[in-house]
Formats: sequence, structure tokens, C-alpha cells
Amino acid sequence: MADTIEQSTTENKPLPLGPTPKFVTNHMDAPGIDRIEVYRAHGGYTALAKALRDFQPDALVEEVKKSGLRGRGGAGFATGLKWSFLPKESPRPRYMCVNCDESEPGTFKDRMIMELNPHLLVEGTIISSYATKVHHAFLYVRGELPYCSDQCERAVREAYAAGFLGKNILGSGYDLDITVSRGAGAYICGEESALMESLEGKRGYPRLKPPFPAVVGLYGGPTVINNCETIATVPAIVAHGADTYAAYGTEKSKGTRLFCLSGHVNRPGNYELPLGTPLRALIEDYGGGVRGGKRAKAIIPGGSSTPFLTPEHLDVPLDYESVAKAGSMLGSGGVVVLDEDTCIVGAVLRMTEFYRDESCGKCTPCREGTYWLVQLLERLEEGHGKESDIPLLADICDNIFGKSFCPLGDAATSSIVSSIQLFRDEYLHHIHAHGCLVGPRSRNVHAVAAS
Amino acid sequence: MITDDVKARMREIVARYPSPRSGMLPCLHLVQETEGYVTAEGVLAVAEAVGAKADEVESVVSFYSMYHEAPIGKHVIKVCTSISCYLRGCDDLLAHIEERLGVARNGTTTDGRYTVQAVECLAACGMAPVLQVNDQFVENVSMRDADALLDRLARGEDVPSHPGDWNILRADGDEQTTAEANGATGKKAM
Amino acid sequence: MAEQHVEEVNLTIDGRAVSVPKGSVIWAAARKLGIEVPIYCYHPKMDPLGACRMCFVEVEKMPKLATACTTVVAEGMVVRTDTPNVKKGRRGTLEFLLINHPLDCPICDKGGECDLQDFTLRYGPGASRFDLSKRHFVKPIPVSANILLDRERCIACQRCVRFTQDVAMENGLIMEQRGFRTEVGVDPDAPFDSIFSGNVVEMCPVGALTAKSYRFTTRPWELKRTASVCGNCAVGCNVLVDVRVDKALRLYSRTNDSVDDGWLCDRGRWGLDAVNSLERLRTPLIRKPGNSGNSTSLVPATWDEALTLVATKLRETVQRHGAVAVGGIGSTHTTNEEAYLFQKLLRAGLGTNNVDHRHGRFPATERNALPWVWTDSIAGLEQASHIILLGADTYNRQPVIDLRIRKAIRGGARVTVLSAQPTRLDRLATDVIRYQPGATPAIARALLNVVTGEGLTRGEFAQGRSASVAARAAAVKQDTPERLGETAGVDAAALRSLARDLATADGAVILYDEMATLEPGGENLAADALDFALLTGNYGRPGAGVGPLLADNNSLGARDMGLLPDALPGYRPVADAAARAELATSWGARMPEERGLSYDQMLAGGVKALYVMGADPVRRLTEQQAGALDALDFLVVQDMFLTETAMRADVVLPAVAYTEKDGTFTNTERNVQVTRRAMLPLPGARADWEILSGLARALGLGWTYLAPAQILSEIARTTPLYAGASRRALGDSGARWPLTPGEKTSEGRATVQGSPCLTWAMLEQGLTWAANSGEELAMSRGRGE
Ligand SMILES: Cc1cc2nc3c(=O)[nH]c(=O)nc-3n(C[C@H](O)[C@H](O)[C@H](O)COP(=O)(O)O)c2cc1C
Ligand code: SF4
Ligand code: FES
Repeated sequence: MADTIEQSTTENKPLPLGPTPKFVTNHMDAPGIDRIEVYRAHGGYTALAKALRDFQPDALVEEVKKSGLRGRGGAGFATGLKWSFLPKESPRPRYMCVNCDESEPGTFKDRMIMELNPHLLVEGTIISSYATKVHHAFLYVRGELPYCSDQCERAVREAYAAGFLGKNILGSGYDLDITVSRGAGAYICGEESALMESLEGKRGYPRLKPPFPAVVGLYGGPTVINNCETIATVPAIVAHGADTYAAYGTEKSKGTRLFCLSGHVNRPGNYELPLGTPLRALIEDYGGGVRGGKRAKAIIPGGSSTPFLTPEHLDVPLDYESVAKAGSMLGSGGVVVLDEDTCIVGAVLRMTEFYRDESCGKCTPCREGTYWLVQLLERLEEGHGKESDIPLLADICDNIFGKSFCPLGDAATSSIVSSIQLFRDEYLHHIHAHGCLVGPRSRNVHAVAAS
Repeated sequence: MITDDVKARMREIVARYPSPRSGMLPCLHLVQETEGYVTAEGVLAVAEAVGAKADEVESVVSFYSMYHEAPIGKHVIKVCTSISCYLRGCDDLLAHIEERLGVARNGTTTDGRYTVQAVECLAACGMAPVLQVNDQFVENVSMRDADALLDRLARGEDVPSHPGDWNILRADGDEQTTAEANGATGKKAM
Repeated sequence: MAEQHVEEVNLTIDGRAVSVPKGSVIWAAARKLGIEVPIYCYHPKMDPLGACRMCFVEVEKMPKLATACTTVVAEGMVVRTDTPNVKKGRRGTLEFLLINHPLDCPICDKGGECDLQDFTLRYGPGASRFDLSKRHFVKPIPVSANILLDRERCIACQRCVRFTQDVAMENGLIMEQRGFRTEVGVDPDAPFDSIFSGNVVEMCPVGALTAKSYRFTTRPWELKRTASVCGNCAVGCNVLVDVRVDKALRLYSRTNDSVDDGWLCDRGRWGLDAVNSLERLRTPLIRKPGNSGNSTSLVPATWDEALTLVATKLRETVQRHGAVAVGGIGSTHTTNEEAYLFQKLLRAGLGTNNVDHRHGRFPATERNALPWVWTDSIAGLEQASHIILLGADTYNRQPVIDLRIRKAIRGGARVTVLSAQPTRLDRLATDVIRYQPGATPAIARALLNVVTGEGLTRGEFAQGRSASVAARAAAVKQDTPERLGETAGVDAAALRSLARDLATADGAVILYDEMATLEPGGENLAADALDFALLTGNYGRPGAGVGPLLADNNSLGARDMGLLPDALPGYRPVADAAARAELATSWGARMPEERGLSYDQMLAGGVKALYVMGADPVRRLTEQQAGALDALDFLVVQDMFLTETAMRADVVLPAVAYTEKDGTFTNTERNVQVTRRAMLPLPGARADWEILSGLARALGLGWTYLAPAQILSEIARTTPLYAGASRRALGDSGARWPLTPGEKTSEGRATVQGSPCLTWAMLEQGLTWAANSGEELAMSRGRGE
């Protein structure tokens, strides 16, 4: 029996904020919150009721603009603004895609949301779809995460049963269907246009832009695409009001976001913190500092696609602008810490292999360039490199950066270019001492290649 | 053998999408679940179900890393080898598993029981190193854990479907407030 | 053609101003200025891909380099193709493409015409900095019966794959794997057996895809390239013939958007075997008594002997039995000029109208033949909302038209295939209506039955012709779809709804194969189809029309030129005294008055001496019919090969291939196209027009033709349909008849106006040429009943 807007609001009190603002992770650890009863007991779906009752779609878009919410998928584009790009009229139906393809090395926040609190994502999707006048939304869940897609599917089923999905939601006259769809192993399908190709049952090649998805997207219709966390933030914004949300964070980077802390720290994990929290606070206070009392050598602030920072940058506030100023990007919020015993060349090689294997192969620079980069880095790491390899690496990166078809190519160059700038001596050491400066490999110096 | 029941499920999947072609990936997953890998017969069935040509399906299958076009082991062990797991010793873990099972990465044991794969970041960097057994997570895997796991698998047990080991979340708000109280520099007792 | 006004956009490239149609990409604008922007993945006939990253240019106010193949021009855009950034970007791309390339140019067929070689020379790095290990593949692997793929040479531009998947829409080449493992391949369970496969070889910018027939036969710079027209089917695709010394090695497309849209089919492309065959005749043959008893055999002879003998025999026959005892069967493969001379020889030279060729049944030619041609054009198909194929199999019979239909399908056209056998187009058609073999004519009548029966007629034609319409309705009263459902197993409901759709369609094109007219009761098929189009208002504009799909490269030309017993060149009825008189003066000869014997009649013993040019009737005759041939006093056969018919001949005259002579062919959409001699004639053989002139001389007729061009200008004078035709006027892409002489160009070059789409006025005027066209006016009934 579907509730009406009235019931569902009278029944549930608005969701309280924790001691530190937790817009996304509030109650996430409450046992059984992945069940609709428990979720509702914690105030779930009241934001939806409020949205349908108190807001016209366009007013909701304004509200989200006001909150200053920015995309959590990597680019950090203003969400409300993106929503307002949809053409007023269009011959084809509009769609919403929620990007749950989380595969950026160092990032594991979307998976947590889907596993622990799928209803939050579903509620966010319904509100966002209502705001953008969409009647069919898709959750594109990374193929390697079947538990996530199961959770989402069950949440969707429960939401249909409760009248939060389907026809005439909560008697508002608004209709929405949600389809949960699985990927099948391709990082590139996290790129919005490749995701749409994949959803259309094709190889995950990125599409030409323009036209942009907001104009010509899924099935040729105007399409909103947002990251899982972005959408999961929307209910709290509606529940507490844009101003409450905007009160946190910095002037240009408002609110909170999930930081995924991993690597050589004592307490890795997901931390929802106001944007602008210093890198040091995240690593030392929340992450419990570098493992084994060691010193950090390098920090990746936003997933493996973002350039390295160094301990000199520990006081950089984690907001889009400050991190950019420091020469990197906030990206997907995947903060990876490398301690002093880590061989940078080895780490860079490992990250570059990822881009070689995940390049879709459509464009020449990315397809061939990453293949070449990996071989060069292997040679260097093995201790057989030449000094000319360093400028060569840099120039290959220059021939990829800004010249590949999509940003994957650019991303592949981040760690290389920044490490050459910041850790040149380690490269040189590999060349001259035929081995690593630090780490296990440093002990047994590599023999020079016979050939 | 693609049974009529499977074909019926394909039709049901295809019906969820505005365009039948969108059923491609889910239908291929279905084939892999029921057949063990993507068989030639499966490709034809999917082509039929989603209204594509067989060669188009073939092309899609070869693009996505999760589809296998040849038989694989009963237990598929995927060890993440991306940066965060790399920093926490996944290479040794993988080497250890390879050694215990006597099979090189991306290979299948002669008895057809195990396939070992090195895979890209599995979105579990906070619980590194991690691996998956038939797509179910095993996190914070020490060598001892690995041995225990392999013993369990040898006994024919499987890894149940379950959420990740997100315990860090329960580091409750008060802790974080004190952290703030201590200010950016404040160290916190473990 | 409807000249709809397209907005122009102005921009500058390297400081030079240019204006191009709105929506063009920078590459096209640069090309217009003659500025080369190197491309690999881009192909003007396919959607931009932007994958190879070769076509970098710098556009003012754009932060990154832009790809010229994907960037649409904008007013006031400032583009540079020669900046250091552009150069570095292109150099980088080329270096990347080469790191995994085998660099086996010395043994690569593409060497000398390879875009990778050429662009590396012009834009590439002098040396590669890659000193590591290359990717390796087994090479080359067969991807089809005729094509091999060398994956190491492939640059993954996806041209071939996009062609087979997006343009041909057939099983074919696919992209496999991803990233640096990307390769082109075929699905073993979906063989690459498409009749369009050869196009991928031509499109491949490198040496990755090669044709069995061409590999290792030559170096490209040894080839002599000539613009010509394919000699295979009635589509008449424009080709380039590549010849090495005395061997035609390959056909490439000579893109003519209005005819072939830049494609060829494999039958034409690889149909050169006949040209290069060792079986070809190299000397005239004369039948002489053999050494043993009464047996005879064909023995080599000189041209003089042979031609004199033929002349004598033919004249003897005329003297003994009258001109009616002589007949000629012409060809659907020889040029217009040759067909014209052939009938002129028989009519003016020997005084008989016994001239014909093998064709579908298009009766009532004494009224005129305009109704029996495709009133629209191939290109017009793209503007049709509905395309109806009636007893046609375009994939196998007119392949490149099939390709155009597929393009129309992509553009949203609804295609209905009505045929007895499954066709390759069924999979893509909106509807398929099957029926029992032989029922095609009945299908056409049933369609008429519905529109007349349900009062669905529309359009200027139907109005004011209620009498005729009523008459038509009566004529097909019995032929209801339901009745046909019982007799021919056709889905009556489907047929009805089709007829209704077409009666309201924006524009329907109804095409039937000429061979369907040979089915029982088929003598009226053409008329019924035309009437259906007229009554449903589907005529007279691009994308709305009707007509036959003919078989051979000059099937239409043969009829245009009067290889018909009852029609003179241009379909002027033999019965038409005025027309006869005109020709008599220009030919300076008496013209026979009574209609001649048809193909079948001549072969059934109607004549005593038979002259067969470029045809092989015996192949289609029963033994006992063929017996009638042996009963002939004299049989002369003119052909490239010793055909079954030739083996029975008294004299055999060796002719040359279409690649060895000049002339014009007229394709199935009335396009008169110039074909050029690409190679020296086979020694000992002669072009049909030369043979005919030689024979005319031997007959003492004062013919003095030195070149086909001369014959064409005579045709232009004597044949209204071809008025103004000349090799120069027809130019590179030809013109669709009826032709009218056009203005001279500024350089004083003659031009000619074509008629892409026959309007009702033209059809009607055509009809008035006909003597005594009775009531029913346009309702062009055949002589059938
Ligand atoms: C190579 C590549 C991979 C990406 N992967 C993801 C991903 O896994 N998840 C995601 O949300 N966005 C990913 N993105 C960003 C998306 O293209 C898109 O910008 C984002 O989903 C928009 O949502 P947002 O505005 O909420 O961030 C990726 C982009 C690129 C270029
Ligand atoms: S085979 Fe030729 S046409 Fe096909 S992708 Fe490779 S280079 Fe391009
Ligand atoms: S031709 Fe422009 S990217 Fe290939």
C-alpha cells in the first residue's frame, strides 16, 4: 500500500546531523539500514516526500545550485548547473544515469554507499530525477561488484513496493522507473559517454563531444549523469536545506565529501569531512598517521589519475581550488599515501600499467603511448634505463596529454610527469645504480642487462 | 546448453530497457553464469535476444575483461594488483597463491578447480590487500588468511555474498570531534 | 535536382578565406582550399570518429589542438594547419603509429600509395625513439575468401569495421580486444561473405587489408589508371581501372555520389578475370570442312576473309529470301555506340527490323517506352519514405543499389521486400511479404485492386481520369489480396495494409526486377506497377517513383538504341512514318516499314541468317530450340569467348573487353556515362564498333566511323532522348535522359541537361509520341490483352 506524502512525513522526523556534519554517511553504520524499514526508521525517504511536496522541479535545481554541490566523480563540476543545461523541450525522452562504476585506483566510497545504504542512493536518484524531469533512471553499477548491484536491485524493489517508484509516486503524479544495470569490467565505462555506449550494449568507446550528454545522451535523449556519491548527497541537502549544506566547506568548494584514505596509513578508510580539511588532518588525525611511524614520501590526493603531492603539501586544504593550486586535483577523493620506503618508479610503473590495460584503444596516443610508457618504466625500474629515457618519458606524456580522445590518456601521464618533477633523483638512481633507491629492490642491485 | 528458461530470462532482461540492444551485457553475464563461460551458442542466443548480429556480440564480449571465452576454474581468484594493494603487498600475496596452487597468474589449475587472475583496483583500497573468490570479497588478506581461505576452498566451502569490511566507519563522531579539537596538528592515540 | 538553399559559413585557414556549407568539418574546408590535412580514421562517407588523432589543427580560442575531421566550422573561425604545435601533434601521432608497425614496406603491396608512408614523409619524425619490443601477430590471416589481413600493419582506424558494420550492415570485420591489444578480426561464427567486402581493401589507408587477386602483382607506380564505368551490372558504378602493361589488375571506385556513392560490389571489382582470361579469342574463325567426311570445324582466318565471308553470306541471304530472312541479336553489354551501329547495320544496311536482344517483357513499345524506365534516380531513394522491392533481389542483382537502400533505411525509410525467395535485405526490411514463385505480376494487380477498390487514389493524375480509373478498377476486380492469399499463399492483410500505406506515403519508390516481367502474366507487370504509382501519387518528385531494375551494364542502352524489333533509337515506333523518314534521310537509306521478329521468334527459326553480337542465346535454349539454330543457313557470332553459341557458328569474330574500348553505357536509372579505354585491345581482337564498321565497308555501305565519339554525335542528332550527348558534355558523371543540350561553359565546353526525375509532364509527352494511343491514355496497357 503506497503511502501518501502526508503520512510519510508525519511518521518520520527529519534526519539529525551527527556531531560532525555527516550528510552522506549519517546512520550508514546503523545495522540493517539497507532494509527499507530501518532506513525509514532513520528518517529515510522524508527528503523525497519533502521534495515532491515543497518543490517544483526547477526550484529543486535552484536549491541544489544553492547548496554548491559539486560532482564527486572527478571533474567536480557544479551539479545544479549541470542539471540546468538540459534543454527545456526535446523530441526524445530524457534519462538519468547514476555513475556507480567506481574503478579509479584509490577510490572506494561509492561501493560503501551501495553496500551499506543503497536506499540513500535510490532516494537521491528519485529526487534528482524529479528535479530534472526524468522518468527513467539507470544505476550503472561496476560489474566486479555484484553485491552492490544486488543491494541496489533489492532497494529498488523495496522502493517500488513502498510506492516511492513507479507511477504517481506518493500521489504526486510523478512517475519514475529505475533500472539497475551491471558493467562487465572496463574502467573507461566510468567515463560518462562510454558509460552510455556500454548501457546501449556496445563496446565502451567514449563518444565525440559536443554534443554533450545533457543535449544528446543515452538513446540520443538529453541525459543527466552524476556520480553515486553526488546523488547520495542530494537527500540530505533537501532535508536540511541548501544553506545548511553550504555552511560547511569553503567558499567555492562547499559541503562535505567522502575521502577514501588508503596506502601506508594506520587507519585507512572512508572519512566524510568538510571540503577544505587539511591533508594533514586527514592523514594524521583521522588516518592515524603513516604506518610504522615512518614519514610520508608522496601523496596522491584524488585517485591515481591525479599528480603526486609531497609532505611539503601536508597543509594544503582539501578543496578543489587549493589542491589545484598545489599542482594536483581533488579528483575522486582517493587519497593514497606512499611512505618513505616506497620506490616511486615502481609505484608509477604499477599505476601506468593500469592505464595501458584500461585504455579502450580507440585513439592512437592513449593506445600506443601507454604501451610505450610501460615498457620504458619497466626498463627503468629494472635498472636498465638510460638518462635519455627521462626526457623521452616526459615528451611521450606531452604527446598524449591534451591530444588523446578522452581524459584517460591525460590521466595516464599525471603520475609520470609529476614524479619526474618531484623525484627526478630516484629516476637517475635507477639509471646509474641499476636499482631502486629504497624499498626491497634497493638491497639487491639489479644486474645490467646482458644484451 | 542455452535452455528455453535462459532464453526466457533474456527476454525478461531485454524488456527492462528502452532498446533491446541494452540487454547485451546483462544477457552475457547470464550466459556466463549458466554456461561457466561465454559459449558460441551463448553468443548466438544473445544476438537473437538483443537483436544484434553475432559478430557485434563477439566484438562486445572481447572488450570487457569479465567475460571469458574459454572454460575457467570452479573458483576464480582475482587478486587486486593496483596501487593501494601494491603498497600493501599484493604482489607477495599473489605470488604466494600462485605457488600454493601451482599455477601462474591468469592460468587455471590442471584439475580445473582454480583460476588465478591479477586484476585492477577492486574499490577496496582501504582494506588492502584484497582478493575476490567468484566475485565475493576477501579483504585485509594476510598470508595466513590466504592459506586459511585456500584450505576452505579445498574443503569445497565457498565465500558467501557479504558487505565489505567497513569497520573504520564506526570510528564514531566523538573521536572525530576530538580530532578537530586537537586541531590539524593534534596526534591521536590509537 | 531540388536546389534547397544551404547556409554558407565563412572562416580562414592559414590566412586564406573560404566559405563552406553550414555543418561542414574543418577538414572539408581545408580541402576546398587545397590544403592537405592528413587523415586516417576519417572517411567522407562515414560519420567522424576522431580516433586516429592525425588531423590536428590549431583553432583560435581553443585551448587544445582540434581534430579537423570532427570540428564543425563556425562563422569567423581562424584555423592554422602549420603551427609548431600542430606539427608536433602530428609527429607524435605518427611516431605512436609506427612503434608497433612492422615497417615491412619493401614487401608491402601498399608501398607507394600508403598514407602511413606518405604522411610519415610529409609530417613524421625523421627517426623513431622507440627501441623496445613491438607487438607481434601471425600475418597475414584470411578474413574472407578474397581478403587477407595483416594485423601488424593495422593502425586501428576502424574504417573497414565501420564500413562493414555501419554502411554495409553485414557480418564482417569487427574490433576485438581493447587498448594496445586491439585488433581487427572476424567472428568465426559469422563469416565475412558480404558482396561489398572489397570496399574495405580500398578504404584501408595502410597495407593491412589486401586482396588475394592483387597481392604481389605490381608496384602501384607501375599502374596506368583510367576513369571508366564498371562493365558488370545495370548500376553502372564509376570505376578507375588500374592496368599494368597488358593486365587489368584492379578496379577502384571513382566516386559518383549520384550513382555509386563511392562504393563497388565484389562482382564488379573482381570481375576482371574475364578481361585477363587466356581463353579469349585472338583471331577470327571460319567453319571449314574437316578432314574426316562431313565433319566441320572452326579454323583461324584473317579479318578480311572473315568479314568478306560474312558480307557475302548476308547479302546472298537477302537476295535469295529477302531482308526478312536476316536477323540480329544484340547485346546488353556492348556500348550504346555499338548497339546503335548494330541496329543501323540491320535496318539501313540489310533492310530488316529483325533486331532484338534478351530483355524483360515491356510491351506496347509502339506506343513508347518511357513508362518502362525508372522515373526517379538511385540517389532519390535516400529521400523516399517507403521503398518497395517487387520480385527483386537487389543484393545479388544490383548490389550497389542495395547498398543505397541500406543507406535509406538508416535514414528512416520503410522498406518492404515482396519476393518468392528470401533475400539478404529481409533482415533489415521493415516488412517482408513472401509468396509462391511466379506470382509477382499478380501481386502488382492485387495492390492495384486495393487502391482502386478502396478508393485510395490521389494525385493530379488520378483526378479527372475517373473513366480510366474505373476501367482500371474493373480490369483488376478479381485480383483481391484475399484471393491471392489462397492461390499464392501471400499474407492478404499485409498486402492490403501495404497498399494503404503507399497511398498515403510521403514518397514511395516501387522497383521490380525486369526478370519478374517474364513470369506468367508478366507482360502487364510494368504497366500495373506504373499505374499503381500514378494512382497513388508516387511519381514526379525525388523519392517517389517506379520502374524496373535492369540486369546488365547496358541493358537500358540496348533498348534506347533501338535493339528492338518494333522501335527505332529513342523508342520511336517503327510504325511511326515520320520517325522513319527522318532516319532514312540522316542514314541515307530506305527504312523497312513492318515491325521485325522478336528474340524468341528469330531463335525459333524465323530467319535463315542470324548475326549474334555479344550474346549467348544457346545457354538459355532447350536442345530442340537450339536445333533451330543448326538449321540456320548462316550464323555469325561476335564475342570475347568461344561461347556455346559461337561453337555452332559459321563465322566467329573476336571482340574486345569493355576495358579496351571507348564508348558510353546507360545505367538502369537512365544515366548515360562515358567509359574509356584503359588498355590496348587484345591482339587479334577488335572493338564491336570497329567490326561493325569493317563489315559495313565489306557490304559496300559508305560508313567512315573513326571513333565512338563520332557515332555518339550521330546518336545525339538522330535520337531525341540523347539530344546534345557528347563525351565532353556528359563529363565525368554522366547525365540522365531525356537529355537537352545546355549552355556552353566559359571555356567553350559543351554541356548537357539531364532529367534526374521524370515528371508527369515528361511521361505524358512521351506518351504523345506514340501513334494512336487509345483511351485509357496514360493507363499504359500492354499489347498483352
Ligand atoms: C577515464 C574516466 C573514468 C571515469 N570514471 C568514473 C567513475 O568510475 N565514476 C564516476 O562517477 N565518474 C567517473 N568519471 C567521470 C565521469 O565522466 C563523469 O564526469 C561523472 O560521472 C559526472 O558525475 P559528477 O558530475 O557527479 O562527478 C570518469 C571519467 C573518465 C575520463
Ligand atoms: S585494417 Fe586498415 S582500415 Fe581496418 S582498422 Fe586497420 S588500418 Fe584501418
Ligand atoms: S582523421 Fe581526424 S582523428 Fe582520425
